[in-house]
Amino acid sequence: MKIGIPQALLYHYYYPFWKTYFDSLEIETIISSPTNKRIMDQGVKYSVPEMCVPIKVYLGHVLELVDKGADYIFVPRFVSIQKGQFFCPKFMGLPDIIRHSFPEMEPIMISPYIESTTDDLATSIKQYQVFEEKFGISRRDNRKALKNAESVWKSFREYSLRGYDISEAAALSMNDGHKTLKQRKSEVKERFETPEVTIGVLGYVYNIYDSVISLDILNRLKEMGVKVRTFEMIDDDVLKEQLSSIPKTLFWTFSDKLFAAGNHFYHDSEIDGIIHVTAFGCGPDSMLGKLLELDSTKHEKPFMTLRIDEHSGENHLQTRVEAFVDMLKRKKRKVKRGALA
Amino acid sequence: MKVTFPYMGTTVVYKKLLEMLGHDVILPPKPTRTTINLGVKYSPEFACFPLKVIMGSYFEAIQKGAEVIVTSGGNGPCRAGFYERVHQRILESEGYDVDFIVFDSMFRDPKTFFRNIKKLRDRTPWIQVMKSLLLIYDMIGKLDNLEKKVQCIRAYEKNRGETSRIWEKIQYDFDQAFSFASMKKAFKLGKEKLNSVPIHHIEEEEQIRIGIVGEIYVVMEDSINMKMEQVLNSLGAEVERSQYLSQWVTYNMLPKWMNWTHENAVLKKGEPYIPILIGGHAKQSVGQIVDYGQRKFDGVVHLMPFGCLPELVSQSIIPKISEDYNIPVLTISLDEQTGIANNQTRIEAFVDLVRGKRKQRLNGKTKLSRNKREHCCSSS
Repeated sequence: MKIGIPQALLYHYYYPFWKTYFDSLEIETIISSPTNKRIMDQGVKYSVPEMCVPIKVYLGHVLELVDKGADYIFVPRFVSIQKGQFFCPKFMGLPDIIRHSFPEMEPIMISPYIESTTDDLATSIKQYQVFEEKFGISRRDNRKALKNAESVWKSFREYSLRGYDISEAAALSMNDGHKTLKQRKSEVKERFETPEVTIGVLGYVYNIYDSVISLDILNRLKEMGVKVRTFEMIDDDVLKEQLSSIPKTLFWTFSDKLFAAGNHFYHDSEIDGIIHVTAFGCGPDSMLGKLLELDSTKHEKPFMTLRIDEHSGENHLQTRVEAFVDMLKRKKRKVKRGALA
Repeated sequence: MKVTFPYMGTTVVYKKLLEMLGHDVILPPKPTRTTINLGVKYSPEFACFPLKVIMGSYFEAIQKGAEVIVTSGGNGPCRAGFYERVHQRILESEGYDVDFIVFDSMFRDPKTFFRNIKKLRDRTPWIQVMKSLLLIYDMIGKLDNLEKKVQCIRAYEKNRGETSRIWEKIQYDFDQAFSFASMKKAFKLGKEKLNSVPIHHIEEEEQIRIGIVGEIYVVMEDSINMKMEQVLNSLGAEVERSQYLSQWVTYNMLPKWMNWTHENAVLKKGEPYIPILIGGHAKQSVGQIVDYGQRKFDGVVHLMPFGCLPELVSQSIIPKISEDYNIPVLTISLDEQTGIANNQTRIEAFVDLVRGKRKQRLNGKTKLSRNKREHCCSSS
């Protein structure tokens, strides 16, 4: 029995959790390959044209898993991971989109409802009872697996908060990195020792950490000697504090986090500029982006929106990002010179 | 207070309610190209179409002197719940100082709800408030009743445009009525007027019925959905909408345990396709298509604003329902770029298809049941 996990959407945030969970239950997993042209094309072919890229890509991943011979496909239905907040409607209807687009997939889909009050998915065992029935697992083992998954995921979050990006943090938390933690740490420190500019990159994990969707923007920035900060590197309490003064916040959990992170970046003197990476047609982002954009003049911090979709060209992105970074550098030097004179 | 509200559907209703509470109502003009352009200019580029139109109509209302905006809120997961915040921020940044009174669901936050009512009530006595509410409720029921009639009669009218003119007149009559008695009179008069419209006689098997489903704003507001009902009517199809104001109000006013409205039944029908409420009207749309399928409608037009999150989910599911219930569905997404001519062609083609399909179905039936008049089948 092999369970396929699509390497898309919240995979990037919950991979350590899911992987550890299935491993401790001794269920074999197949992960779809990182997004590539074929997956993208397949996804685009089978989805409604107006859909946003990440969802299209998800369909591509699911199809690839079927080709790879997965017996089951894990398509969780994300409903809510915080009280009073939800996920984007597309997430909530994702299993429906898939099972009605491909009727043959309905029997092999495993779609537990993800409804909890924190972003730690281990809080309610109810969601995982599906596996007990399907794979003949005892309640005790299930609990134990959840506990394992929880602890790994927590350490993963811990690494994120320390400034590692998601792929590094995932590798570290799951102990399959080649280097020891100490080496890593010094390396990271070295790299970030004297960054000329620091940019806050706002975007959902499934966009910015998917190197095809975002055209590898994080590495592009790093190559230019830019230190990158993203929302998952900020402590939840700090984020909450940012939102406490706002009368009505967004009701999508991750958009809310991004909104808070954006506000945090505006107030953080270390951050020189903000890049908002958003998918074409992303609903929550259309609101969030406008609100942050309006604030940009108030805080006098440059703000740029990068809109991506399946037709994004690499060159135009490179040019825009370079121009933005150059502008930030020049601005900073000017300030420095002004201070000296 | 000089109040205004978002323009949607039969605006007489809101106008009347606010007037009866003793406010000076600034009726926003019916959305036009100018409204849309104004809204598009200030709204986020990828915001959904209703947000842009409402933004534009706020600007127009403010220019006419509105000081307070009364609107509905929400708490997701659809973007509509966040409209007021974005509108407020944009108006603020453009330097307009207007007050917002936002009504959220009565059950979620009763305190704010009643505070808002109090604010709106001003010095009107409570008895008067209750009476106005009841009167308005009565009025929307009556108006919807007449509108349903209009949507059927208009398909067969002899003089193009006559029914629409009469409908305008009826709305005006209702606007002038301020008591139950005069409301009743207006209703009766309206009914008579509609019944006297000269119509073509069309054979039963030639009559086609098309349902309109989708996101509430684009379904209800004909100035931004290219007058979909009139277009379909002019092509000779009877029309029924999935959303009527009276249904919507009843559904939202009643607590869950005694909610036996049509909306609830429709939601049940959507259950096999979308098991949970995912915001907006996705589940309603899906359920409504099933409902139309079961009631043997000939086709469904599904309207959505471009990029609407919940409706995209329903759009993905529609091919399956269409197959399950053997009912053709045409999805049209609307935004400021919508070209009338292109959609007109699509609709005409769709109606032709629906007509053909109906004929085919009827022919099939007569053949199966070996009906007496065989020659009927070959008539084209």
